[in-house]
Amino acid sequence: MRSGVVGLLTLALALALAAAGCTTDGGQGAQPAGDVAPPGGGQAAQQRQERNLLDRVRSRGELVCGVNAEVPGFGFTDEQGNFSGFDVDYCKVIAAAVLGDAEAVEFRPLSTEQRFTALQAGEIDVLSRNTTYTASRDGSEGAAFVTTTFYDGQAMMVKADSEFQRLEDMQDTAICVLSGTTTELNLASRFAAGRIAYQPVPFEDNETLQQAFEQDRCDGWTSDRSQLAGVRSNRPNPAELRILDEIFSKEPLGPLVRDGDQDWYDAVNWAVIATIQAEEFGVTSRNVEQMKDSDNPEVRRFLGQPGGDDNTVFDPGLGLDPAFAVDVVSQVGNYGEIYDRNVGPDTPLGLERGLNALWTDGGLHYAPPYR
Amino acid sequence: MLRAAFQVAFVVLVGALLWYLLGNLRTNLRVSGLPTGFDYLDRPAGVDIRDSPFRPSQPIRDAIVVGLVNTVRGSVVGIALATVLGILVGVARLSTNWLVRKGAAVYVETLRNVPVLVTIIFMYTAVVLRLPPISRASEWLGLIVFSNRGLVVPWGVAGTGARAFTGVVGGAFALAVIVGLWRSRRFDETGEPHHRVLWGGAVLVIVTAAGYVAFSRPVTLTLPTREGRIVQGGIQLGPEYAALLIGLVLYTASHIAEIVRGSILAVPKGQTEAANALALSGFQRLRFVVLPQALRIMLPPLANQYLNLTKNSSLAVAVGYFELTRITGQIIANANPAPQSIAILMLLYLALSLLISLVANIVNRSLALETR
Repeated sequence: MRSGVVGLLTLALALALAAAGCTTDGGQGAQPAGDVAPPGGGQAAQQRQERNLLDRVRSRGELVCGVNAEVPGFGFTDEQGNFSGFDVDYCKVIAAAVLGDAEAVEFRPLSTEQRFTALQAGEIDVLSRNTTYTASRDGSEGAAFVTTTFYDGQAMMVKADSEFQRLEDMQDTAICVLSGTTTELNLASRFAAGRIAYQPVPFEDNETLQQAFEQDRCDGWTSDRSQLAGVRSNRPNPAELRILDEIFSKEPLGPLVRDGDQDWYDAVNWAVIATIQAEEFGVTSRNVEQMKDSDNPEVRRFLGQPGGDDNTVFDPGLGLDPAFAVDVVSQVGNYGEIYDRNVGPDTPLGLERGLNALWTDGGLHYAPPYR
Repeated sequence: MLRAAFQVAFVVLVGALLWYLLGNLRTNLRVSGLPTGFDYLDRPAGVDIRDSPFRPSQPIRDAIVVGLVNTVRGSVVGIALATVLGILVGVARLSTNWLVRKGAAVYVETLRNVPVLVTIIFMYTAVVLRLPPISRASEWLGLIVFSNRGLVVPWGVAGTGARAFTGVVGGAFALAVIVGLWRSRRFDETGEPHHRVLWGGAVLVIVTAAGYVAFSRPVTLTLPTREGRIVQGGIQLGPEYAALLIGLVLYTASHIAEIVRGSILAVPKGQTEAANALALSGFQRLRFVVLPQALRIMLPPLANQYLNLTKNSSLAVAVGYFELTRITGQIIANANPAPQSIAILMLLYLALSLLISLVANIVNRSLALETR
C-alpha cells in the first residue's frame, strides 16, 4: 500500500515536471511578444502582451537570430570566430532594417531538431537557418515563413571514385542524412518510389555525419544541394567528392518567425524583400549614397527619399524607418551582393545563380512593388 | 494530527500546481494554434528506421514502439554485460596479483571519471568507424563479416514448424530447470553429488535435438556473405548500437566494480578467515563464502546503476542509434507537437525505471537475511 502511494506520487511529480517543461514551450510561444527569459511579475506580463515583438526587439536593441553553425557558405563560424554566411547575412539584413545596425545581432546556433522548439518558445526572434518552407511547418509548428531567400533542391553526394551515376544505382547502400529534416522525409519517399533498398544513417549534427561519411560508414550523403556544395568546398580536396545531377525535391529556404505577430512578420518580410528590390534597381552597397539622388522616383521612394509631386517621404506603414532600405543595402548589401559574397561562383562553393537569379534574368526572385 | 494536516495540505498543493501547469499548457497551446491532443500518433511517421521492418507509411505510435524496443535492447544487454565486467573488475581490484590489481584500478579511475557521452562518441568516431570499410571487410571462415557497417554473424532463419519448435525449446528449458531442482534436492537429502548443471544441460540438449529432428529442420542457419556493399544473411550488430553498448558497458562497469569491491570489503573479515581455516581455495572462498554475502550488500546500489544505464541509453542520439529519445526527436522535428511527445517519452522512461526497481526490490526481498 505504502509503496503504491509513493509510486503514485512519483508519477504525479513526473507529470508536473513534464507539464512545467512544456509550459516554457507553449507559454512563451503563446505571447508573440514573449522575450528571452522575461522578468516575472504581473505588470511586466501585462506590458509584454501590449507590445509586439518589433517594439521589444527595438527596446532590447538586439535581434536574437537562430542560425546554423555547421554549413560553410550559409551559416558557420569563420576563422575569427564570427558567424558568417548567407543565412547569417539575412539576420544582419533584418537587424539593419529594424534597428539600423547590422551588427546588433545575437546569434544562436541551433540543431535541426532544436530549431522549431526554440522558435515556438520565444528563445529567438527569427530563425534563419536553411529551413524549408512546407505546409506542415506552417500549419503545425506555429511558424510563419517570409519570402524565400534561396531556392534549393535535394541532391546526393558520393565519393568521386564510386560507381554511382544516378540514384537508381544506389541499390542496397547506406545513406547518411541529418535527422529531423525535410531531406530525411524526401529520401524515404524518393527511394521508396524508385524501389531502391537502402539503409538510413541519420545524425544530429553535420560534424559526426561528416566523420561517418569519410570513414565509409555510408555510401551517399543527401542534403540540400547548396549545403553539399558548402561541405564539399570545405574539404582539403573537393575533387574527391561528386554531387549527382538529379535534384529530387523542391527546397525553398528562407527566414521564419513565430505565427501570430503580423507586425513583426511584415517587418522581417520587407527587410528580406528590400534586398531583392535593391538588386532589381541596381542599388548596391557602393552606390547607395548616389542612388539617393536618383532621377528614378521609384528608387527614391524605395530609399525613403523625399520625392513625387508633393516632395514627401513615402512610409508604407511597416513600422520600419522609411529609409530602412538604405541601412540594409549600405550595411549588408543587395541580394546579388549577399549571394556572391557567400555562395556565388567566385566563392569556394561556386554556386551559379540558376533559380536564384532575379525574375528579369529568368530566376524566381520577384519583389512585390514598393509603393 | 497537525502532521497529517500538513501532509494533506502538501498533497493538495502539489495537485493544484499540477492542475495549474496543465491548464496553462493547454491554454497556451490553443492560443498559439498548436494541437493539444494525441491524434497525431495515428499520422504516418514518414521516416525509415534502420534495421527494422518499419515502413514510413506506418503510424507514429508504431515508430515509438520500435524506439522503445531498441532502448530495451540496449539496456538489457548493457546491464548483463556491465554486471559481468563490473564483477570481474571489482574482484580484480582486490586481487593479490599486483598487475591485475593496478590494472583494474586504472580502468576504474579512467572510465569512471570520463563523461559517458564522451566515451560513447569516442567509441563511435575513434573505434567503431575506424574498422575496415565494407569494401575491405574482414571475413572469418565464412562465419563472420566484420566492417564499420556492422558485425554480421550466422543466424537462424525460421522454416516450417519454427513456432512449434520454439515451444519445444521453451519446454526443454523448463524441464532442465526442474531436473536441476530435483538434483539439488537429492543432494540435500542424500549428499550424493548433484551435478545439476551437467544434468540440466544434458536434458536441454537432448530435448532440443529431438525436437529439431522431429520437426525436420525447423530452423536453418544462414551464413553471412558479402555481396558488394551489403551483407546477405546472418544477423547484424550495427556500429551505432555497438558504440552505444560499449560506451555504456565500460562506463557502468567502472561504477559496478567499485560497488562490488566495497561490498566484498564489507563482508566481515571472520568469514574469510573461516573459509581459509576450512582450507578452501581462493576461488571457492569467493564463490561460496564471500560473494553470496557481498551480493546482499551490493544489490540496492547495483539497481541504481541499472537505472542509470537505462537512462543513459538516451545518449545514443549522439551516434544515431534509433532508440526512444532519437525517434521522439525525429517525430518532433517533423512538425508534430513537442509537449505531448516529450510527455510520452518521460512516461515510457519512468515506466522502464519503475519496472527495473520493481524487479530489484523483489530480488532484494528474496535475498534479504532472514533473522530468527
